[in-house]
Amino acid sequence: MSERPLIEVKNVTLTYRSGKGVFDLDFNVKAGEIMGYLGPNGAGKTTTIRALLGFMKPDRGECLIGGLDCTKNAAAVQQRLGYIPGEITFPDDMHGDEFLKFISDMRRTAKNGHKGLNNNHKNRQKELTELFELDLKGRIRKFSKGMKQKLAIVTAFMHDPEILILDEPTSGLDPLMQNRFEALLSEEKSKGKTILMSSHLFEEVEKTCDNVLIIKDGRIVKQSDIHGLAASQRKTYIVRTSDAARLAALMEGENFETGPLASADSLEIFVNSADTGRFIRILAGADILDLDVKAQTLEDVFMQFYTGNTGDGGAAKQNEHGIT
Amino acid sequence: MNMALLRMTLKKNWVLIAIFYGILTMYLSVMISMFDPEEVNKLLEMVEMFPENLMKAMGFTSIATTLTAYLASWLYGMLMLGLPMVYCIILGNRLVAKMVDNNSIAYLLSTPNSRIRIIITRGVYAILSLILLFTAVTATGVLLSESIYPGLLDIAAFIKLNIITAMVNMVVMMISFFFSCLFNEAKYSSLLGAGVPIIFLLMNMLSGVSDKIEYLKRFTIYGLFDPVGVINGETVWQAQLIYAAIIAVLFSSAVLIFNKKRLPI
Ligand SMILES: Nc1ncnc2c1ncn2[C@@H]1O[C@H](COP(=O)(O)OP(=O)(O)OP(=O)(O)O)[C@@H](O)[C@H]1O
Ligand SMILES: [Mg+2]
Repeated sequence: MSERPLIEVKNVTLTYRSGKGVFDLDFNVKAGEIMGYLGPNGAGKTTTIRALLGFMKPDRGECLIGGLDCTKNAAAVQQRLGYIPGEITFPDDMHGDEFLKFISDMRRTAKNGHKGLNNNHKNRQKELTELFELDLKGRIRKFSKGMKQKLAIVTAFMHDPEILILDEPTSGLDPLMQNRFEALLSEEKSKGKTILMSSHLFEEVEKTCDNVLIIKDGRIVKQSDIHGLAASQRKTYIVRTSDAARLAALMEGENFETGPLASADSLEIFVNSADTGRFIRILAGADILDLDVKAQTLEDVFMQFYTGNTGDGGAAKQNEHGIT
Repeated sequence: MNMALLRMTLKKNWVLIAIFYGILTMYLSVMISMFDPEEVNKLLEMVEMFPENLMKAMGFTSIATTLTAYLASWLYGMLMLGLPMVYCIILGNRLVAKMVDNNSIAYLLSTPNSRIRIIITRGVYAILSLILLFTAVTATGVLLSESIYPGLLDIAAFIKLNIITAMVNMVVMMISFFFSCLFNEAKYSSLLGAGVPIIFLLMNMLSGVSDKIEYLKRFTIYGLFDPVGVINGETVWQAQLIYAAIIAVLFSSAVLIFNKKRLPI
C-alpha cells in the first residue's frame, strides 16, 4: 500500500533570473497513474518538466524518479524514461529514420544500457510509425509540424519505457491523430506505465488521465482526481422565464449563483455538477419557457480554476477528492 | 565517450574538415609550386620592396632560402594559424552552444548518457578532427614537395612544425569549445569563442610591426610559437608541454561547467 511513488516532486522552487518560475511544488505520481498537468501559457509546466528531466537543478527542494535524484542521477533516470519536449527541435539535418536509429543507438550504447533491446525497439518503432501513419523518409527539417510531433511521439515510446513525461504531446496533431494518441495512452496505461502529461486541453486530460494538477503562476492551485474535478465544475444554464428577477431571487435563496440580469425574461444560473438534480427540481416548479446549457469553453474551465473562483464547491471538493 | 554520438558527429561535420583540407591544400600547392630554388633570390628582392614592418606583421620574419624554412615562414607564420582558426570557431560553436540554443541537445540528454559523457565525446571529436586535418595536410605537403622538388623538404622538421602548429590550433579549438559550453546562447558563444582567438591573432600580427610592441605577442597563445625556430632545430618540448596543459585545463573546465549548469531546454 505504501509503495513509493515513481515520480516525487518535493517542495521544488526553481526560478529564472527574471524571477519567474515555479514555487513550492509538491506532488507525487504513483506507479501506474496517469497525471494530467494543466495550466495556461507561462504557468510553469515546462519548467517543472525541465527539473524532472535533470536539465535544471531546482533552487530548493528535489525531484526524484524511482527514488533517484533527477539532477545527480540523470543518466540512470533516463534509462527508464520516455520524453516528449514541449519545444521540439531535432538535431540539424537528419532524416527521420536516421534520427530514430541514432537515438536507439544512443540508448543501446549507453554504459548501463540493455544490449539485446534493439530488436524490440525496431518492432515497436514500426508499430508506432504505422499507427501514426508517419513517413520517415526525408529530412526532418522539411517535415510538417504534425509530422515532427509524431516523430517525437515515436521517439518517446519506441523503447517501451516504464515512465513517460510528455510536454503537450498532442500539439500540432489533427483530431484523428489525437484520438490515436489517446488510444496509445490507454494501451500504455493497461501495461502499467506511469505518465505525467502537460496539456492545455481540459477535454484531453479528462479523457485520458486519472488525476490532474492545475498550475497557475508557478503554483499548484488544485490537485484532484478527474471525477472530483468534473463534479466540482460548474455549468452555466440559460433559462427563459416570464419574470427573470423573481427566478433570480428564488435561485439565490437556494444558494445558486446567478448572472447579472441581461433582460427581463432571461437569466444565467451557475450550477455545480453535484447540484444538478436539486437545480432541476427547483426549475420544475417555476414558470420556464426555455432552457439552454451554455457550451462550456476551455476558457470557462480555466477561468474557474485559474482565477481561484471555484464557486462554493471548490475548496471543499479539493479535500474530499484530494489525492494527498 | 559514446561511439554512436562520435560517429554521428563525424557524419554531420566531415564536410567542414573536407572544406578546410581543400583550402589548406590549395595554399600548400600554390606556395610549394611558387618556390623556385633559382628564383629565391628574386623573391628576396621582391620582399625587400615591401616595408619590413609589413612583412613582419604578416609573419614573414626571416628570409628563407630552403624549401622547409620558406614554407615555415610564408605559410605557417600566418595562414596556418588564421585558416584553421576559422574551422575551430565554426566547429566549437556548433558542437555545444548551437544545440543548446536551439534545444536539440534535449534529445541527446534524454538518452541514458550522462552530460559528462556527451560533452567529452563532442570535445574529443573537436581534437580528433584537428589531428585528422593536420595529418592530412602534413601528408599532402610531403607528397607535393617530393613530387615537385624531390629531396628538398626536410621531412622530419616539417612534421615537427606541423605538430606544434596543430597544438596551437587545438588551444584555439578549446577556447571556442570552452565558451560553447559556458554559454546557453549561440550568439555569446560565437562572440567570445571567435573574439578571443582573433584578438590573440591580431596581437601576434601587431607585435611584428614594431620592436616596441613586440612584447604583445608574449601575452597571447602565439608567444611560444616560432615556426622558423622549429625548422632551425630549436627545442619545442617546453612549448608543447605548456600547450598540452592549457588544452587539458580548458577541456576539463568546459566539461565541469557544462555538467553543472542549468539548461533551459
Ligand atoms: N529560459 C527562460 N528564461 C527565463 N524565463 C523563462 C525561461 N523559460 C520560461 N521562462 C518563464 O518562466 C515562466 C514559466 O514558463 P514555462 O515555459 O514553464 O510555462 P508553460 O506552463 O510551459 O507554458 P506554455 O503552456 O506556454 O508552454 C514563464 O513566465 C516564462 O516567461
Ligand atoms: Mg510549455
